[in-house]
This record gives sequence, structure tokens and C-alpha cells, in this order.
Amino acid sequence: MQEQLWFTALLNHLFAGPVTALLQAFHIEVRHPQAPIPNSFAMELSVFLFLVVLFGLVRSRLSVESPGPLQHIFEGAHGFIEGQSAEIVGHHSEGFTPFLMALGFFILFCNLLGLIPGFESPTAVPVVPLGCAICAFVYYQVQGFKHAGIGYLKHFAGPMPILAPLMIPIELISHLARVLSLTIRLFANMFAGDLVTLVFISLVPIGVPILFLGLHIFVSFLQAYIFILLTTVYLAGAVAEEH
Amino acid sequence: MRKLSYLFMALACMFLAVPVFAQGGEAASAVNWVAITAGFSMAIASAVCGLAQAKATAAAAEGLARNPAARAGIQLALILGLALIESLALYTLVIIFAKVK
Repeated sequence: MQEQLWFTALLNHLFAGPVTALLQAFHIEVRHPQAPIPNSFAMELSVFLFLVVLFGLVRSRLSVESPGPLQHIFEGAHGFIEGQSAEIVGHHSEGFTPFLMALGFFILFCNLLGLIPGFESPTAVPVVPLGCAICAFVYYQVQGFKHAGIGYLKHFAGPMPILAPLMIPIELISHLARVLSLTIRLFANMFAGDLVTLVFISLVPIGVPILFLGLHIFVSFLQAYIFILLTTVYLAGAVAEEH
Repeated sequence: MRKLSYLFMALACMFLAVPVFAQGGEAASAVNWVAITAGFSMAIASAVCGLAQAKATAAAAEGLARNPAARAGIQLALILGLALIESLALYTLVIIFAKVK
């Protein structure tokens, strides 16, 4: 059984019974019935609760005349993502901003959570970045269908109809490879960061690991930004109009 | 002609090593080929990734020097390009962790 963090142990203590019953109702084999909730899920849940509290706090303190620091930060982030999607997608990109903001903040705080002792980054487990990548994939496909209806499928046929039998498998594989690459990029960056910090802590316990924690902070921001940037690029491809 | 004679001399010396094959294969020596290959493949992936990112960064710096007004677009292309190249080296790392016990 994997070693449990304090938050995971708390959740398992409170909810092990109902969660095990729920999993067994779906015929899923539960290896440890007294601890069905893994560390990654508990960490994701804590990020989710923190974000709900944070967004509620921002919402309650919005003011036109005297904006506080929290409002400034969120307006800055909102403006940045909106500006970026306007630049990459073009017209009618404002509707994408809420999803991109939510996904961006979730990934960012999941990445940063690993810095706090007693918590670990849920994105260092392959399943969590896969979930984020599938959300992004489903979102841009749905946006493509909403924009062009069933004609969205013409995107997969390539530039000329005669090339369609060749292009369709290639396009399908490349779209699925986007999910794979988003997942592996985020997972490998977080996992390698954890590993390298571990190696250096075991070599030089004092002083040097601070550099790697600083690197982890930088990589967390960068990888969250890259995830959102790539999702915006895929959105641009999905809602593109041939002139 | 001289180079060819040197080549033949080197090959003749190497044939002296042939008796090594007469040893029945020792299964107990247990050379961990997976770990050795993992090290080499990660080194090659990181080296080629480093070269590619150097080329991308150099192009971005030159573009920025020629046209500082295009900073936003060049910065975007640079970050996107660097992340995509980096992810190729990371795929190698993931395969290593999937395969090396």
C-alpha cells in the first residue's frame, strides 16, 4: 500500500466505506478497502477546494472603484490569456477564456503543491496530466463541432479531396498524439523535477536543493503556460475558417 | 596504398581476439544491457535536444535583434518551439522509466 499523506489518511479515515462501496458498484476491484483514495486524488481534491475558496474570495471582493491586490492579479491573468487567445485564434476567442483560465490555474496549483511539505504534486502521477489533456482535447473538438457543425470533419480530410484516404488516418493519429504529448510533457517535467530534487537532497542535504526547488517553481509556471498555449493553438486549428 | 596496408594490419591484429568466442556463454555474468542502453539513449536524446534548442534560441535572438518591434511574436514562437523540442527528450526519459526496473 502506498504511503499516505496526512490529507489522504484523513480522507480515507472519513470516507473509505462509501468510496469502496461506490467503486464496487461499478465492479472495480479495490485492492485496499480501508484506503481506496490514492494520494494523487486527495491532492487534486485539495487543489480543487483551494481554488473554489480562492475564486469565491475574488468574486466577493470585486470592486470597480478600489480594486484590491487579488483583483489586480486575476485581471492580469485574465487579460493575458484573453490577449493571447485573441492573437492566436483571432475573432470570437473570448468564449474560450474561462476554460483556459480554470485549466491553467488548476495545473499551476497542482504543480506548485509539491513544494509544500506534507503534500505532493498530483501532476507527478501520469493519470492527472492525462485527465487534463483529455479535458483539453474534448474541449477543442467540441468547439470545432460547434463552430462548423458536421463540416468540422473536413479538417481531417486534408487540403484536397483526392488525398483524403491518406490524410484521414494521419490526421486522426496526429490528433491522438496531441493528447499523448500534452500528457507526457507535463508528467515528465514534474516527475523529473521531483527525481532530480530527490537525488540532490540525498547528495547535499543543505543549500543545494533550494536551487532545484526554485527550478521546480519556474518549471511549474512554464509548463502550465505551455499547456494553455498549446490548447489555444489546437483551438485555433479547430475553429479555423478556410477563406 | 599505405593506408590500405595499415588497415589490413589492424584487422589482422583484431583476428587475434577470435579465441574469446570459444568460451561457452556465461549466463551468470549478468550484464545489465537495459541500464547501459538507457544511459546512452538518454545522453543522445539530451544532446540532440540541446543542439536543436540552441538553433531555435539563436534564430529567435537574431530575429529579435533585427526587428525588436516583433518581440511578442518571436517570444511566442520561441517558447512554443523550445517546449516542443524539450518534450521529445522527455519521451526518452519516460520510456526509460517504463522499461528499466
